[in-house]
Amino acid sequence: ARTAVSTNQNGQYSIAVPSKTATLVFSFIGMTSEEIVVGNRTVINMTLRSTATNLNDVVVIGYGTQKRQDVNGAISSISAKDIANVPQPSIDQLLQGKASGVTITQNSGAPGSQTSVRVRGITSLSLSNEPLYVIDGVPISGDATNKSTSGRSPALSQNNGATGVSPLSTISPNDIESIDVLKDASATAIYGARGSNGVIIITTKRGKNGTSRIAYDGYGGVQEQNRFLDMMDLKAYANLQNALADVYGTAKRGEFADPTLLGSGTDWQKEIFQTAVMQSHQLSISGGKEGTDYYISGGYLKQDGTVIGNDFDRFSLRSNVNGKVKEWFKVGANVSGSRTNQNSVLTDNTGIVYNALLSAPDNAVYNADGTFAGPLANQIGGTINPVAQAMSLTNTLLRSNFNGSVFGDLQFTKELSLRSEFNADYSWSDALTFNPTYEWGIFQNKVATLNKLMTNNTFWGWKEYLNYNKTIGKHSVTGLLGYEVNESTWGGVTSSVMNFNSNDVPTLNLGDAKTATNSEFRGSQALESFFARAIYTFNEKYSVTATVRRDRSSKFAEGNQTGYFPSFAASWKLSDENFMKFTKSFANNIKVRVGYGEVGNQGVPNYLYGSALSPSTTGLGTGFTVDKVPNPELTWETAQQTNAGIDISFLNSRIDFTFDWFNKDSKNFLFQKPLPAYLLGGSAAYSTAAVISAPYINGGNMNNKGFDFSITSRNFVRYKFRWNTSVVFSRYKNEVKSLATGIPFISANITNGFLSVPVTKTVVGGPVGEFYGYVVKDIFRTPAQLREAATQFGRPVENSSAGTWLGDIQFEDLNGDGVINEDDTRALGSPQPSFTYGITNTFSYRNFDLSIFLNGSQGGKILNALKYTTAGLASLYQNQLAESANFWTPTNSSSNIPAPKSGTDNPNLKMSDRFLESASFLRIQNVNLGYNVPSSMVKSIHLSRLKAYVSVQNLYTFTKYTGLDPEIGSTNQNVFLTNVDLGRYPIPRTITFGINAEF
Amino acid sequence: CVGLSSCKKDFFNRAPEDAITLDNYYQTNEQVANSTNALYSTPWFGWNTKSGWAISEMASGNGRSYSSDVVNFGNFSVTGDNFELTSAWNSLFTVVAQSNALINNLPDKVPATVDPAVVNNALGEAHLMRALAYFYLVRLWGNVPIIENSLDYVDNYQLNSNPVPDVYKFIINDLLFAEANCKKMMRSGASSAQGHVSSGSASALLAKVYLYMQDYPNALLYANKVINSGEFKLYGADVNGKTFNDLFHTSDNNNEESVIALQWAANGGYGRANAMQASFAYNSQITTTGDGWGVLGPTFDLQDMYEAGDLRRKATIMLPGDHYDDINKSGGGYTLPADANSQGTHAQVKKYVVGSPADNGGIGSSQSTGNNTYLMRYSDVYLIKAEAIVGAAQTSSNPEALAALNKVRNRAGLGNLTSIRRFYQVPNAAYNTTTNPNAPRTLTKDDILDERRREFAIEMDFWFDLTRIDGFNASSHPRAITLIKQQDRGTSDSSTPPVRYGNEYRTPTDANFLFPYPSTETAANPLLLQAPVPYNFK
Repeated sequence: ARTAVSTNQNGQYSIAVPSKTATLVFSFIGMTSEEIVVGNRTVINMTLRSTATNLNDVVVIGYGTQKRQDVNGAISSISAKDIANVPQPSIDQLLQGKASGVTITQNSGAPGSQTSVRVRGITSLSLSNEPLYVIDGVPISGDATNKSTSGRSPALSQNNGATGVSPLSTISPNDIESIDVLKDASATAIYGARGSNGVIIITTKRGKNGTSRIAYDGYGGVQEQNRFLDMMDLKAYANLQNALADVYGTAKRGEFADPTLLGSGTDWQKEIFQTAVMQSHQLSISGGKEGTDYYISGGYLKQDGTVIGNDFDRFSLRSNVNGKVKEWFKVGANVSGSRTNQNSVLTDNTGIVYNALLSAPDNAVYNADGTFAGPLANQIGGTINPVAQAMSLTNTLLRSNFNGSVFGDLQFTKELSLRSEFNADYSWSDALTFNPTYEWGIFQNKVATLNKLMTNNTFWGWKEYLNYNKTIGKHSVTGLLGYEVNESTWGGVTSSVMNFNSNDVPTLNLGDAKTATNSEFRGSQALESFFARAIYTFNEKYSVTATVRRDRSSKFAEGNQTGYFPSFAASWKLSDENFMKFTKSFANNIKVRVGYGEVGNQGVPNYLYGSALSPSTTGLGTGFTVDKVPNPELTWETAQQTNAGIDISFLNSRIDFTFDWFNKDSKNFLFQKPLPAYLLGGSAAYSTAAVISAPYINGGNMNNKGFDFSITSRNFVRYKFRWNTSVVFSRYKNEVKSLATGIPFISANITNGFLSVPVTKTVVGGPVGEFYGYVVKDIFRTPAQLREAATQFGRPVENSSAGTWLGDIQFEDLNGDGVINEDDTRALGSPQPSFTYGITNTFSYRNFDLSIFLNGSQGGKILNALKYTTAGLASLYQNQLAESANFWTPTNSSSNIPAPKSGTDNPNLKMSDRFLESASFLRIQNVNLGYNVPSSMVKSIHLSRLKAYVSVQNLYTFTKYTGLDPEIGSTNQNVFLTNVDLGRYPIPRTITFGINAEF
Repeated sequence: CVGLSSCKKDFFNRAPEDAITLDNYYQTNEQVANSTNALYSTPWFGWNTKSGWAISEMASGNGRSYSSDVVNFGNFSVTGDNFELTSAWNSLFTVVAQSNALINNLPDKVPATVDPAVVNNALGEAHLMRALAYFYLVRLWGNVPIIENSLDYVDNYQLNSNPVPDVYKFIINDLLFAEANCKKMMRSGASSAQGHVSSGSASALLAKVYLYMQDYPNALLYANKVINSGEFKLYGADVNGKTFNDLFHTSDNNNEESVIALQWAANGGYGRANAMQASFAYNSQITTTGDGWGVLGPTFDLQDMYEAGDLRRKATIMLPGDHYDDINKSGGGYTLPADANSQGTHAQVKKYVVGSPADNGGIGSSQSTGNNTYLMRYSDVYLIKAEAIVGAAQTSSNPEALAALNKVRNRAGLGNLTSIRRFYQVPNAAYNTTTNPNAPRTLTKDDILDERRREFAIEMDFWFDLTRIDGFNASSHPRAITLIKQQDRGTSDSSTPPVRYGNEYRTPTDANFLFPYPSTETAANPLLLQAPVPYNFK
């Protein structure tokens, strides 16, 4: 017979024991259990030691859990304490550098913005490479732009910028207990059709049995921009304008006649960047008693942007309750809700930062009367006042979200149980842009415009699965058999109205009804699955896992809807073998793992197998254009992944080492066929209306090979001083193995500042999205050089805008045919890093602890596309980088910067290696110094624990990159346009002070 | 049942819930009749917004701009990276793609219950639009790929271009089909029912295409056919109470002079409304909607083209001090300020500048007006007729030719010419030994071309005239180069009258009469850079 008690708050307990031979088992989560035979003692005090290894930790594996030591697949885990007290609003941002095999880049430093998360490389050329997130059983796509559902982001943009919003920013990181990243296919196959980009399982906190506590976690701090671009001051700008006036044949401006007399002018970066405050508060109440546990929390976060006009706030609530109703029946409910509100004025890429960089230093921010100024009459091409924009334009997004799951666990026999689970996620959003009336120099708007987008999304899922657990002697069997079905529906309404009598209240009813327009979208999709898993372990030494999942999806036409996704994995605990005994002296655990699996991807829009008609308003009434070329044959993309790994614990678990090698093949990957515009039309003047979308196809094979490892080391534990180090390292190499017939390569273009340039080319044998272009040889410095050089782009050697002349870029004649043309382009480097890494050092001494987290990325290139505009030397009335002032002139003939030339399409601005820079960086991502107030002191104020800390996020970045921030990510998560810097919102430095208090 | 799939049959069939599928439309006469609506707007947006005028007005010397995206059209140094060049290509091929979709879908999808005449009319309109898009494409790039059904090439999209004569043959075929299948119309007043093209529109366009092919007998045949039909009328000549300036008012959309016109919706949003005014208007006082950037400035050369009394001058370009009643109507009109000089030529564009939303029925917004864009006007037919009669002659006093030319001149308030002279020399009034010594002492004039230029300036046409005057599919352009070389495309100081710097006289090369393919396209299909292959006509 067994009896159990829990200790009280002071750790005291009493228990009646039947006899002296009884054994007391002391256990506590995270501690090594101890067993003691009672004997004659009446007082038994026990001090538990913290678990030497994390091997006994529980790992969430999808539809179940497993002890870490039994896991056969490749799974990285992150616990609450790894991410505690880091001032990041969103979970995806917190994962950076914390888990091996996961490459994370923040696509923007703007509050509430999205990230690019790559689990083991780029799997797919389809729209999204983001992993599937499963939060307490509810699947949430990481796709920030909803491309596979409604096809649109809940946010609006006034400047055609990036509109993705992080789907994870609605969740408070404080509520998270653990994060498990399923990396290899043997682990993700249980998620079948959606597992190919990896699965990240997030488990929220629950109350612990036998405790009750009230906890407050809060911090406040400031964020600041720690890097600025050196732009021209007024003198340098005046010199440039004079030079450009000659090039453009316009009159030199009188006020610039003698630039040396001028002051420094407006520093627009100073005007738009600010020191911003950030604060977060979270209160939670949790506990557990007699089979019932609860966790209730409420949180508030507010983050102002370091770019004026930007902010983000979030209210969140959560209630997780579990209860044992009968010995054979457990129920539970997790319910959470949140509301986020963000203001982003203009979105990333060609937003406020971009406009500030280009704003001329001779323009003032304000007029003498305090109103906003702007470029003067006739300054066509001058940049609109970014401060005025930030302070006057509105772009808000209000998101509300309700997420709940209820489950029942029915224990039929000791071995067999049934879990029934129902999940629902309901979210709605309200986005608004308002362009008020204004007069800023030549920019005058007398017609205010309001745009609104209201969306709502519903998800429901229902799961039934049987669990079977049986151990007979050394044989242990676990079985899982399940059924799952879910459905998503989405819809939204857009409306706009103009002509407001006042800028004060932008609501639809206050505009001129005659100008009102509206539109609607809606859609739905469904997925139904059967899945099974069996795990057999012998003697805790040999273990095999097999899973299979069958998915049927509404994404494809009938006949192509069903896919099967099998996997297999095995492990062998080598260190338990007799012949490995000799290793025991230094390695107490050695386990090898191998696995293979097939997983799918269906992250593409709906109804790609048919054509529909898109309505459009014309002067003749509603018209229709054909939307796409259908592909009824479209079906699953499959990723096959082989994984081999080893886990070793050295020196009595002082050092834990996990290494995984993988080989991932995506076959028949889903992607949109890149067709030239002459077939289906193409985007023109920033509009894609009426362009027929190219068909999606199952288009080729891609391979990712790589390895990742993590080392956790307790370097020093003595004299109350502890030093731990953990290192995670990820490397992958991406190679396109084949493309569908008729597609020799895929080229991708950027559109920026009046340019439409092909910048990347994806070819068989190369990586996805490799930069492609010309190679710069030199600047033309002498007439002889001009005479002898290859003819460039068919242009005569003459001093005109149509000719090649001194001061122009000389390109390499790569094929040696004496002319420079399209045949002289080549691959210029991949945007993908060679490896990424994170190093965390934690120190503690008495009541102090210090952690230093470094995050780095090595290799890869950035296309500094911002330089097309900030260093193009081709446009009047736009400011340029200070370094550009050193452009080539006959008297400054050693310069490597070409002379100003007319037009942004001049050959000096052709895509070439001069715009590429190294993307390597090492960032001191977080430094956190904490002080635990001694318990004797806190007890007097009824606290059980009190910790105060100071934290610096993004302290410093070591990089050679000349832009604002080397961490670029992908433009709207598009894999073909990775590391293209178009004037992105940089990540700020954040300094916070916080406390953790427990009652 | 196991699972929902067997319980509910349609659970996995998720057809669009917010769009009509291709199989569910084209079921009634009305649906088929409206199926062509979109061909008159969205696909043309990119061409209309900027690239159309950037190419044709700047290269032809009608306008100048230092805006960095378009400046190189004016100095003949455009490259395949140019954003507007790409826009033009993409937009025109979008027109081809949507026309093709209709041409290929209608015969399959329309049930027998729909009146065949309605189907044929829609097919005719689509053929005309496709022909017109190719007419622009072939004049801009020369050899281009002919696509009749996009689906044929989806699997293997890299293909060679087809030679210019084949493209013209293809255009003629399409127009003959359109002429035979489109409804005949008799125009009266300004009405949206006249927004769709008619059989007569196809005849008029045939006349123009034959003129470009220098097939003068056919050009004359079709021009006469149009004129004799009486379908169209000239504002201010056949339609009383209307002037040349009225042609460009939103309220006069689809008038009797309109042969082919794009149909914009002022509240259609970006991509569906006319965004031209945003670039043309001198400032946002005119538009009141934050746009109005004065990107295009009429050159001195264009200003010099208008003689006193030509009504078209003020309707085409604004000079400082010009007053307009049709802009800022409620505030008593608009006067161009004395310092208006956005491109250094002391002149701004008027044509297609329609003013504020309030001036246009209360509808419109930034980059969005509802005025039509002409792709062909009836006066073109008279000028085609005159030119077709004169043919290759240097001078002519053929009464029919003179009557046709003078009809257009009279409507503009000008007197009759008594003979038509081509490529003759006159002294240049703008030449001045001290203030403007760079200007040529003599200018080459051409009564037909000059009339066309005055009539159609800012209507995306004059550049194409320049490309054709040295012969059909010519590779050398001496006449055009002569005409361009003498154009003052430069700027001036700010005195009154302005003293011209004479700082921009440009001499194009023969190669400049075709544009480079967009680099985004040659990147996707290097075969475009190879020699064209003959088109296999079906």
